[in-house]
Amino acid sequence: MAEEQETKSIDQGTIELIEKAAKDGVNTAFDRAEAMKPCPIGSVGSCCKHCGMGPCRVPLPKGKEETPEEKQKRRGVCGATAETIAARNFIRMIAGGAAAHSDHGRGVAELFLEVARGGAPGYGIKDEQKLLQVALDLGVEIGERTNNEIATDIGQIVLGEYGKQEGELITLRKAPLKRQELWRKLGVAPRGIDREIVEIMHRTHIGVDQDYKSLLKQGVRAALADGWGGSLMATELQDILFGTPAPILGQANLGVLEKDEVNIIIHGHEPLLSEMIVAAAQEPEMIELAKSKGAKGINLSGMCCTANEILMRHGVPIAGNFLQQELAIVTGAVEAMVVDVQCIMQSVQTVAECYHTKIITTSPKARIPGATHIEFDEHDALKSAREIVKTAIENFPNRKGNVHIPDNKTDQIAGFSHETINYLLGGMFRASYRPLNDNIINGRIRGVAGVVGCNNARTKHNEAHITMVKELIKNDVLVITTGCNAIACAEAGLLVPEAAKKFAGKGLAEVCETVGIPPVLHMGSCVDNSRILIAATAMVKDGGLGDDISDLPVAGAAPEWMSEKAISIGQYFVASGVYTVFGVTWPTTGSKEVTDYLFKDMEEMLGGMWAFEPDPIRAAHLMIAHIDKKRKALGIDKARERVLYDMDMRRELDAV
Amino acid sequence: MEYKIEKKKAPGRDEVEVLGATFEKGKPEGEDAGKWRQKLDSREERLKYLQSGERYFYSQEWFGSEKRKNPA
Ligand code: SF4
Repeated sequence: MAEEQETKSIDQGTIELIEKAAKDGVNTAFDRAEAMKPCPIGSVGSCCKHCGMGPCRVPLPKGKEETPEEKQKRRGVCGATAETIAARNFIRMIAGGAAAHSDHGRGVAELFLEVARGGAPGYGIKDEQKLLQVALDLGVEIGERTNNEIATDIGQIVLGEYGKQEGELITLRKAPLKRQELWRKLGVAPRGIDREIVEIMHRTHIGVDQDYKSLLKQGVRAALADGWGGSLMATELQDILFGTPAPILGQANLGVLEKDEVNIIIHGHEPLLSEMIVAAAQEPEMIELAKSKGAKGINLSGMCCTANEILMRHGVPIAGNFLQQELAIVTGAVEAMVVDVQCIMQSVQTVAECYHTKIITTSPKARIPGATHIEFDEHDALKSAREIVKTAIENFPNRKGNVHIPDNKTDQIAGFSHETINYLLGGMFRASYRPLNDNIINGRIRGVAGVVGCNNARTKHNEAHITMVKELIKNDVLVITTGCNAIACAEAGLLVPEAAKKFAGKGLAEVCETVGIPPVLHMGSCVDNSRILIAATAMVKDGGLGDDISDLPVAGAAPEWMSEKAISIGQYFVASGVYTVFGVTWPTTGSKEVTDYLFKDMEEMLGGMWAFEPDPIRAAHLMIAHIDKKRKALGIDKARERVLYDMDMRRELDAV
Repeated sequence: MEYKIEKKKAPGRDEVEVLGATFEKGKPEGEDAGKWRQKLDSREERLKYLQSGERYFYSQEWFGSEKRKNPA
């Protein structure tokens, strides 16, 4: 049994809890993935169910080359080709992902406007610096106006960007000039966030856009509306409300749960309510109440991207990433799991029913049958938060004896926003990306890789994440990370400065030691991938590495991706000029043309392209080869090969 | 955040004023560790920081590698 479980995760604590789940008769995603294989036709994008004549399945013939006649016939009832069907499926994934990120951003903007108008007590403008920065981005007058007046204008403009019908998103102007021009030339500069997503739904309806290239181009447009629009705005406004992240020490993994305390896990994506829960859990009355129920205190921890948000701003520990959500409940030590939106398995409720845990849903957009629903009311957020914390405390006496918390917590440093990296590299008086660019040019740092994305139950938990990241840093590639990859890296001890000495190549380790940073920089949650775009733009603008993101020696990856959001993120990275490698599975292999377009033609069009490689070492090598290709194009490939001559060598030279 | 001016003897000249250290002594600890943004405490300072520190995006005359081009 133990050996079988070891194939499921690289993390000992996770394996222990998979075993406990089996003993307790609890069914988890690990079991379901084993019992149910993915549909071989759907997984390659060859199944369409966009109308009542289908679903139509158009798989490639197995084990033989297809004749032109066979290909002609490989169509849906409506005549849609395998290319159209694969492209439709692919861009509907982008629409789903972009909608999720952007609707998150809209929620933040709505709260932001309420705060500015004084209608959301408990919240405020925490970061005036960021407020001014966003005001400059959006052309909002600053002068002698109050923060709330400035914020009101910002909130209105941002909300307007969602429903805008014409022109282009204001925040596209943050991208390198050359990139902006390219987007305009290609006709992919997004007009309004909602519009591009709606247009995907229209174009993919039966009998509308039936040219796969045209469909994929709209996918690019919607993805850009996500990365440079909805996600970017979510990040910026969250920073204004809750503070721009700066380095902070925290801990990670299931071992952060406390045996004698009321454990509350905040799971999901939006920091709006979780910020208030952090505040409520520290109130003396709440701590007293917890003690009156026999607990020693209240222990908050996070899961998935909410975890990243509250870690980066408050140092709240992270209990785990996507595939650890059910297992946290299996510990038997969780009084409440508070969820909002995205990446919450419906089965957390079923698992909770086997223990004493209460699942508390809080968003009107995301309800689960059987769960307790305490709706987040932004007009009295602290009241909602107190009710949630109280519900958890009152559940403490119901805890059963069957508790096992793995002993597996690690330290981590998070909070590397673009602003903080800029400050750390240059200081208050000359904040700068210059040291980073210089070290790339002189070859100490080979390049930069953004490794992000989910967990996927079809592959060993965290294995591809960690194998890839270790291979990259070993080869002097500085890694920036977000989302579930960041949590995996934290659990593997890669987010501390000491990791540089242990795992990084000589050049990268030297730089990390000098600046005092880990070789893997935690930049936040999945909407915070926009921070990576801004960091890449700052590298371009600082100079010496070309004049577009596609010139930089950088690459991106999501080795354990599973969500539609990951596809949207990948597509906006590609559209921004980044070579992006995905692992596990690829959703268009049912059509060679569509796959070639994404993997090859997009490079000509956008300077960045997709790649698929499930082996994390091979994927890392693909990224390194791309980084080296870019170094060569920049004429800085020789820097790495430079030989430092000692006196003997010099004498030999002189003798010649 | 104020500039520290130090007086120093210069060869062949009288005392001259030079800009002193621009870092704070010691290591930030506890609550303060890592919190750098709070050091800017007026709107004017914050705007000035944006123009210098975040010059890639907010300087009037400096566009890094793109300075030859017109702003988009
Ligand atoms: S839209 Fe066409 S391919 Fe899709 S289900 Fe309907 S008939 Fe089949």
